[in-house]
Amino acid sequence: MRIELAGAGKAYGQGEARFWALRDASLAVDEGNFISIVGPSGSGKSTMLHLLGCIDRPSEGEVSIDGREMEGLSDREMSGIRRDHIGFVFQQYFLNASMTALQNVLLPLDLAGVAGGREKAAAALETVGLGSKLRSLPTEMSGGEQQRVAIARALANAPGILLADEPTGSLDSKTGNDVLEMLVNLNRERNLGLVIVTHDEGIAMTADRIVHVLDGRISQ
Amino acid sequence: MTWIILANAKKRRARVAMTVAGIAIGVATLFALLALSAGIEQALDREIGAMGANILLLPEGCPYELTLALMQGSDAFEHIPTDVLPDVRSVADVAVAAPVAVGKAKINGQLTSLYGATDEILAVRSWGIDTFSGAIVGSDAAEKLGVAEGDRLTLRLYANEEIVIDAVLEPTYGRDDTFVFVPLAVAQRILGLGEQLSAILVRTRSVTATATTQSTLGRMSDIQAVPPSDVFERLMELFATVKQTLILITGIAIVAGVLTTMNTMTMAVYERKKEIGILRALGSTKVNVFRLFVTESLVLSLVGGVAGVILGFVATQFLPQSSGFGLEATPVFSFLHVVICLLVAIVVGVASSLYPAMSAARTQPIKILREL
Repeated sequence: MRIELAGAGKAYGQGEARFWALRDASLAVDEGNFISIVGPSGSGKSTMLHLLGCIDRPSEGEVSIDGREMEGLSDREMSGIRRDHIGFVFQQYFLNASMTALQNVLLPLDLAGVAGGREKAAAALETVGLGSKLRSLPTEMSGGEQQRVAIARALANAPGILLADEPTGSLDSKTGNDVLEMLVNLNRERNLGLVIVTHDEGIAMTADRIVHVLDGRISQ
Repeated sequence: MTWIILANAKKRRARVAMTVAGIAIGVATLFALLALSAGIEQALDREIGAMGANILLLPEGCPYELTLALMQGSDAFEHIPTDVLPDVRSVADVAVAAPVAVGKAKINGQLTSLYGATDEILAVRSWGIDTFSGAIVGSDAAEKLGVAEGDRLTLRLYANEEIVIDAVLEPTYGRDDTFVFVPLAVAQRILGLGEQLSAILVRTRSVTATATTQSTLGRMSDIQAVPPSDVFERLMELFATVKQTLILITGIAIVAGVLTTMNTMTMAVYERKKEIGILRALGSTKVNVFRLFVTESLVLSLVGGVAGVILGFVATQFLPQSSGFGLEATPVFSFLHVVICLLVAIVVGVASSLYPAMSAARTQPIKILREL
């Protein structure tokens, strides 16, 4: 699995209000890579993550997935790539409060009609150390546990690359470190490609490669 | 997908309850309307059949009003002179011509339908009685008046007479249950009809002779010959107009229900934009999201439909059991009515969810993620 940005940029708005959130970004992510994207708020790092995650299309340049250019992909094909090859973790956990941990992980699998969803969801929760909390509701769990449920949801369909947008941003430092350690272990042990967006230099330093983004451009 | 719908419903209990209640009320109205309509049709069919006549000879005037008055045991302004009876009986193929005089009188102090007839009435009714010289009392009338066989009845209106009860009828579950049958002459005196009749019930020797006999009888002066089947059809046409109006009103209520549900669903989509955006980011396709919302709506509508059928059934038990024709009409329930109501609920569910589901499916995950 390889996702590659080649001179990719993204502009938002129309006419006078049009502005470039990202310009001329080139970056390749393979399975097993651990890359951190660092930069201040509004620098364009999340935009880069969205392009890598097939959530958005570039306004310039190219994005390719395993050599296939995104430009030729339909919305359905992009959804399929997100479902089968890419995992997402957000700063807020975005769990459904009325669903148990298992149901939250199962939800995207079930909606997409993925076979063996329940077993995959249970195994993913086991992986993040929540095997004993399958039936717990988010309100009965700590912030760290909720983020681990979100990580399990991202892992459930065995993606090749995991994209995490400020995954420790809502957690205290100890819990944040635990979550980070888990993500790093997944990268090492499962050869999972890991891209973390952060504005925390300490977290960025744990990555094999650091990409600095400033004012919509990769600075180094 | 059921568990997803249940979990989402649990999260929005009040909204779900209101949506289900809205659909249930519409469906209940429809179900009750169908059951009552079928009941009225059945009651009309039963009452007209219970007359036991192929042809009704009525005074000149509106045949439908006169037939209804006859069925209800009410007074009419128009009457037939008794002297037409021999001419009627002389017509070939007339097997029985039973003269009747009908109206309300005070019986034992209570206003009750009095039905004057000769022994010929016994040939067109199936009571198992050969002759009568006293009164024959319908089962409901006997209960209302608190009388039994052998008791005396006081009849009062234009005359004042007493009569002994020959028999109390077994329940027929028709209007006969509410009548007090007395000899024709007695009824004519009590009702002040003199030598006049309310109607003559004619039975022909064979069904095939009905048309020609009706034609012959129809040419006689002062009377009209009407086949009960024509009356039934005409009354059903009249009732159909009322029924169509009621169905139209119910339809408008259901359309209002669709729009309300659509509004509720659209608001729900707006509230759940973030959830939808995350699902799309996690790989759900537009079709997945569309199907989720349509299925959710469909399930809620079906629950509303089932609740509506139950509610409609309960409601009909409390409604007065008489039709606009003054007949006892018990609601008739059928599997077809349940199917119709559930189909309507399904249509409501699908119709009301299409726009919100499309709106949800069109959600671009990037738009949601950029707002977070």
